[in-house]
Amino acid sequence: MQFMIRARHILVVEDADEDYQTVLESAKHCTAPIDIQRATSGEDCLRLLRDLADRHQALPALVLLDLNTPQNDGREALLLIKQDVRLREIPIVVLSGSANPRDLSFCYANGANAYHVKPVHHALHLLVLQKIFDYWLNNVVSPVEPTYAP
Amino acid sequence: VVISNNTRKSHWPMTSNPPDTSPLPWADALYSIKRHGLSLTNCASEPVQTPGCIQAHGALLVLRMADLTILQASENTAQYLGEKPEDLLGQSAAKVVGARGITRLRVMLQQEPVERSTLYAFTLPARAGVAALDVCVHTTDGFVVVEFEPTGRTGEPKHNDIFSLVKASISRLQTAGSLRDFCQHVAREVRSITSLDRVMVYRFHADQHGEVFAENMREDLPAWLGLHYPEGDIPKPARDIFKRIWIRPLPNAAGPLVEIMPLANPDTGRPLNMTHCALRGASIMYTEYLANMGVAASLTMPILVDGELWGLIACHHYKPTHFSYQVRSACELLAQVTSLQLKAAEHSELLSYQLKLDNVHQQLVRKAASEGDLMALSDSQPSLLDAMDAEGAALFHLDRWWCAGKTPTEVQLDALAAWLDQRPEFDASMRPVFVTDALTRLYPAGAEMASVASGVLAVQISRLRKDLIMWFRPEAIQTVHWAGNPHDKPLVPGPNGQRLSPRGSFALFTESVKQRSRPWSPMEVESALRLQLLIIEMVVSRAERLAEVNLDLTRSNEELDAFAYVASHDLKEPLRGIHRYAHQLLESSQAQDAENRKRVESLMRLTERMDSLLDSLLHFSRVGRTNLEFQAVNLNEVVAEALEMIGVRRAENLCSIDLPRLLPTVLCDRVRVREIFSNLLSNAVKYTGQLCPHIVVGYLEPHEHGAPVLTPVEAGGQTIFYVRDDGIGIARQHFGQVFRMFKRLHGRDEFGGGVGAGLTIVEKLVQRHGGVVWLESNVGAGSTFYFTLPSAQGCSS
Repeated sequence: MQFMIRARHILVVEDADEDYQTVLESAKHCTAPIDIQRATSGEDCLRLLRDLADRHQALPALVLLDLNTPQNDGREALLLIKQDVRLREIPIVVLSGSANPRDLSFCYANGANAYHVKPVHHALHLLVLQKIFDYWLNNVVSPVEPTYAP
Repeated sequence: VVISNNTRKSHWPMTSNPPDTSPLPWADALYSIKRHGLSLTNCASEPVQTPGCIQAHGALLVLRMADLTILQASENTAQYLGEKPEDLLGQSAAKVVGARGITRLRVMLQQEPVERSTLYAFTLPARAGVAALDVCVHTTDGFVVVEFEPTGRTGEPKHNDIFSLVKASISRLQTAGSLRDFCQHVAREVRSITSLDRVMVYRFHADQHGEVFAENMREDLPAWLGLHYPEGDIPKPARDIFKRIWIRPLPNAAGPLVEIMPLANPDTGRPLNMTHCALRGASIMYTEYLANMGVAASLTMPILVDGELWGLIACHHYKPTHFSYQVRSACELLAQVTSLQLKAAEHSELLSYQLKLDNVHQQLVRKAASEGDLMALSDSQPSLLDAMDAEGAALFHLDRWWCAGKTPTEVQLDALAAWLDQRPEFDASMRPVFVTDALTRLYPAGAEMASVASGVLAVQISRLRKDLIMWFRPEAIQTVHWAGNPHDKPLVPGPNGQRLSPRGSFALFTESVKQRSRPWSPMEVESALRLQLLIIEMVVSRAERLAEVNLDLTRSNEELDAFAYVASHDLKEPLRGIHRYAHQLLESSQAQDAENRKRVESLMRLTERMDSLLDSLLHFSRVGRTNLEFQAVNLNEVVAEALEMIGVRRAENLCSIDLPRLLPTVLCDRVRVREIFSNLLSNAVKYTGQLCPHIVVGYLEPHEHGAPVLTPVEAGGQTIFYVRDDGIGIARQHFGQVFRMFKRLHGRDEFGGGVGAGLTIVEKLVQRHGGVVWLESNVGAGSTFYFTLPSAQGCSS
């Protein structure tokens, strides 16, 4: 299937406003601007992605996924994304408050591309996010040639 | 007078195998006891149904059915009927019984069931020189047999109404409780009707040997109750006759015999079948046998249950007597009623035994269920021994024997159980029961324990665990009182010599009961199987309950896991928020005073501390639940890794780590044991007043000298490891507290801080390895933390 990826575009699945603000704050410190879209639940995330796919629009270059979101849990979103042939190549980075080995092994077993624990320490939290952005948006080679927003 | 072998009171001499080669002495003529009886060498060849003679207390005529002509007559007719036999033969019976008698006979022959069944016909009144006679009639082989006996009534009959007497006896029989009680009643009632010296109820066992089961006798006579007699004492021909007749009177055993004239029926040339004759002459064997015992008269009735000979009502009298037709009828009736009632009594006794066993079984299983173990079956009241009529019981459970009563030794039990395990009976899972009353015939090794275990009833409880229950019965010959053992009583030859002292077969008989126990009844086998089912049900229901509890535990473990998980996530989320706002506050508060900056900084530090507490809590909860992966682990490597983790290198001069000897290899979970060492080592490095702390890591083999003073008993047999420092030490009163969760003995930020979970986790990890942890310490002199791990069997260091 032919699909496109928008460079420097990420989808953040996060229900907690404080944590979302931290993401935005971290993005501000990045050298190049990042286009951030938010979903507040796993369901929300899937709807957004499927909508893009349906309309043959470019997909985000990264999904930053919180595991414990209300309603449709982040784990289920991970499963469904990786089962969807149109979506499964999007890199998914899990960012969770939990360091439970069970969560780790679940996520890696089901195709998560990375797993990070959200530190309580704010400065560290910002640092983790910056490293993620730097790595996944600047260093990693995307599955397809990214398109740039018009 | 009781003679020396009087315990052999049986009615028939014993038999040995009849010689079938030599011609019988009467081969050329018909048999008569009177002529040939003394030439007999054994009684199995005796033609007991055609003895050719009657007893002398009455007379007998054989009539042709069609015209009632007299064909045969006993040689004593002159005495009772007033005519010599030769004057009667060929004449009409009217010559004896008169016209009215003939009419009565014809009516009976047409209307009454007299074929092979003797019935009272009428009484011939006394005439000149002849007493009054009771006349009884039956038919056999197409001829009419008429028997005449003096009424014996000299005036009024002794019993006015014998039938109301019998009726009273029968109603008393109904009140009996047990089978033995019932038979005791029978003996008493028969004796009260007959007035004989001794009345016994003699019971046949499955192997046809007999036992005096109930008895009523003249007070001065010795009791024979409970004595057992070999099968041959009442040989098969005698037992067979008792399936056909209801009474066998012998009022004068020593009396003369009277021959039938002629011996052969002139119409057929054959001897008279006297099976149903009340007057039938008794075998000389038998009469001499009775004489040996001093018995002068006997009366015998069969007890038949379902057509089989269950036993006999045997009466002895020590003087010749007279059995009137009425008394005989009453006894016959009693024997018939006894036969009918006995089945019911036997059934009700079986039922009450079964109820008793079932009741005991229920109690046993309830007890076992409440005490949680099968051991309760053997060592409490009631025990397995009450659950069966047996002398011994053994239960194999939890890899050992639990015995009650008389049982084989444990070595013998082991061998027997191993043999039973291979038996086909235990392959059938539906009826895993083995039963025998002669163990040695199947299991020759059982000979050495025949005295306690000739009979075995075994049920399997669990094939997997080899659990089983066995009951034992000893060799019967040891528990039974055998009458007249030939080996300890001198032979007393009868008047006709040794041949009538039937001892020869006793040895044979003894051989046949050797290593044999009382048999197990089908009811007992069923009962044992029901107990087995009850126990299995109990075990299964316990297992189910256990499974339920386990499920509950698993569920609550999972809930705890979920709780810890959710708590950590949900608590950390607001924590991150707080930290974030405090952080922002600090960044934007350049202008504010130092006081407020300090407060905000404290807020952030507290948030971080809360974060580590939550992490420790989570970690601790996981330590208790995750499965350990045991493998052979070289502890030298583990200690090196632990040191690396906590950032201490042995080479560094900041502290010295000393291993007096190489640590062994043990079977343990590498990651967890590394955590034990890393926690203890990091504490040793942390809690020190020294510039260069000195730490020793070592171990003591089990039983090695120098075990610490405070070593707990649980540490016995395990390798003791220790981590010793020269740090600040711990006061004795705090020894217990150091292992408590989040317990810190020092200020929060002293000695590098920490949440106070390290030793709690160490204790948990050691416990999960089956070990124990403790410490020895003095304030200012350093601490030593000890812990044990299971000794590494099969692991080389």
